[in-house]
Amino acid sequence: MFFAAIGLAVTGAGASAQTAAPGTPSATVIALPPMTTPDAGAKGNQTLSLAFQATQLIEADLRSTAELLPLKPDPKDYYSYPEVTAPNFQKWRAAGAKALVTGFLQSRPDGRLTFGCYIYDLEKGRELGRKGFVVSQSEWRRAAHKCSGLAYQAVTGAPGLFDTRIAYVAESGIGDSRVKRIAVMDSDGSSHAYVTQGETLVLTPRISPKGNRIAFVSYAGGKPQIRVADIAGGQQQALVPGDAMSFAPRYSPDGSKIAFSMMLGANSDIYVVDAGGGVPQRLTMSPGIDTAPSFSPDGTRIVFESDRSGSQQLYTMNADGSGQRRLTFGGAWYAAPDWSPDGKWISYTLRSSGGRSIGIIRPDGSGEKQLTSGPTDEGASWAASSRELVFQRNEAGGTVGLYRVSIDGSEARKVIVPQEGSDPDWSGVMD
Amino acid sequence: MTIRKLAAALLMLSSPAVAQIRLPVLIPRAPAPVAAANPIEALRTEFAAQAGATTVYFEAGRADLSGQSKAVLVAQAAWLRRNPAVAVRIEGHGDGGDTRDHALALGARRSGEVRDYLLLLGVPAAQVNAMSWGKERPGAGRAVTTLQP
Repeated sequence: MFFAAIGLAVTGAGASAQTAAPGTPSATVIALPPMTTPDAGAKGNQTLSLAFQATQLIEADLRSTAELLPLKPDPKDYYSYPEVTAPNFQKWRAAGAKALVTGFLQSRPDGRLTFGCYIYDLEKGRELGRKGFVVSQSEWRRAAHKCSGLAYQAVTGAPGLFDTRIAYVAESGIGDSRVKRIAVMDSDGSSHAYVTQGETLVLTPRISPKGNRIAFVSYAGGKPQIRVADIAGGQQQALVPGDAMSFAPRYSPDGSKIAFSMMLGANSDIYVVDAGGGVPQRLTMSPGIDTAPSFSPDGTRIVFESDRSGSQQLYTMNADGSGQRRLTFGGAWYAAPDWSPDGKWISYTLRSSGGRSIGIIRPDGSGEKQLTSGPTDEGASWAASSRELVFQRNEAGGTVGLYRVSIDGSEARKVIVPQEGSDPDWSGVMD
Repeated sequence: MTIRKLAAALLMLSSPAVAQIRLPVLIPRAPAPVAAANPIEALRTEFAAQAGATTVYFEAGRADLSGQSKAVLVAQAAWLRRNPAVAVRIEGHGDGGDTRDHALALGARRSGEVRDYLLLLGVPAAQVNAMSWGKERPGAGRAVTTLQP
């Protein structure tokens, strides 16, 4: 990947501006005049056109959040290259903005682009952070997403999710001729690509923390077994040797290990193995169904589901299998947990007489709340921001789709994908 | 030997009960050129007819075998012991309302229980493979014994 960061500085964690609930007028207003270029002549016009596209992409990124409200980039607000680092604070303060994003694109002799991005606190008149990248012509979108992430983090203190990806299962066809393929896309829906081509049934893709590998369940061997592959394509390989059924893979936060479920006869237990494969280490011994492991962000704990008590409930344990203790005690069934990247929440799928819905609970068992009302929601996965989740929902008419929901309890929104979608997994911010 | 006799006795006793179970393939097909040209289809037809059923059903969320299911498996085991060259795959299905991973585990548990019971009845382990469809194939919670080509 021809993608190199040439500088990073975040001088302030959180602008003085207020953050707010979604859709309210008090979301932080951000000025975003069209980015500029030091390039001259015909080359300059070309780069300037790309810079405008990048500005529009950043606008779309910021507009998709609850906390930031970008002003629409207006060509009459073009500024010169020196003004990137010496902006007119008074002008944007007067326009009602609390923060300002400036930036430039510059073509390099080697054909690549330099992308500079700056964020300012308008009330204090000071820089909050800057980032610079050298990218190939085809990667300007990623640099723009990085710029959006810089602005989001400077204002909210939380990492943005613009340079993140969603892996999911693309579904098409009906009945026994249903085709399922692993697909990966940027979280804004762009750069959509298929990792498998539908030749065999596949389920539950999980992206590695660096965003380059993927673990999933494949029926290529006639039964569900975990395989791993490069997202960019290339050979799939079995995660563990042997004939046993294995499923529910999940990477550790540092990417070095994969926790998963494996059948020994009629018994499902949780194991962990090096992400490159090898001999798995068994973590649970219960005669019940133990499955769906998910690591805490520091990698020291694992949350999982077990029916050892007679109904599915969530449990936590140390990453070596010791210290197992029950987390949920509700009357319904709790399944498919996912530990949030900031460590503060565990999401789950609740199964009750009312169907399946998505909820969250603190790792100490407090603060339990339902985010959706179901009745066919399932398999939530956290965004890097820890403020939002993606999950699957069966729709009227028999289709299945991907949805996003914020932990503030606002309505779930549909994620547009080319076909039907299930089993979503949201990556962290990529390097 | 004792198990064989027991199995044969149970087969005869259980036949009426077996007939009440929902069957994907109950009525033996008339011998036809198609069947002759496709030996595995002919074997499958024979297996379904003589074992009484290819499928056993489970209560929601559970993997334990009912008395009725055990009777079906006794008949399946008898046929499999008479046909040791024919391998079978037990295809376990979870419940449709379940979550993905738990449905896989439950389907695997159901096929595992069926396999264990067939082995208990004297079917060689190498003859019986177990797998799970999770909730990928709509229908009731079940395990289907499928003859492999």
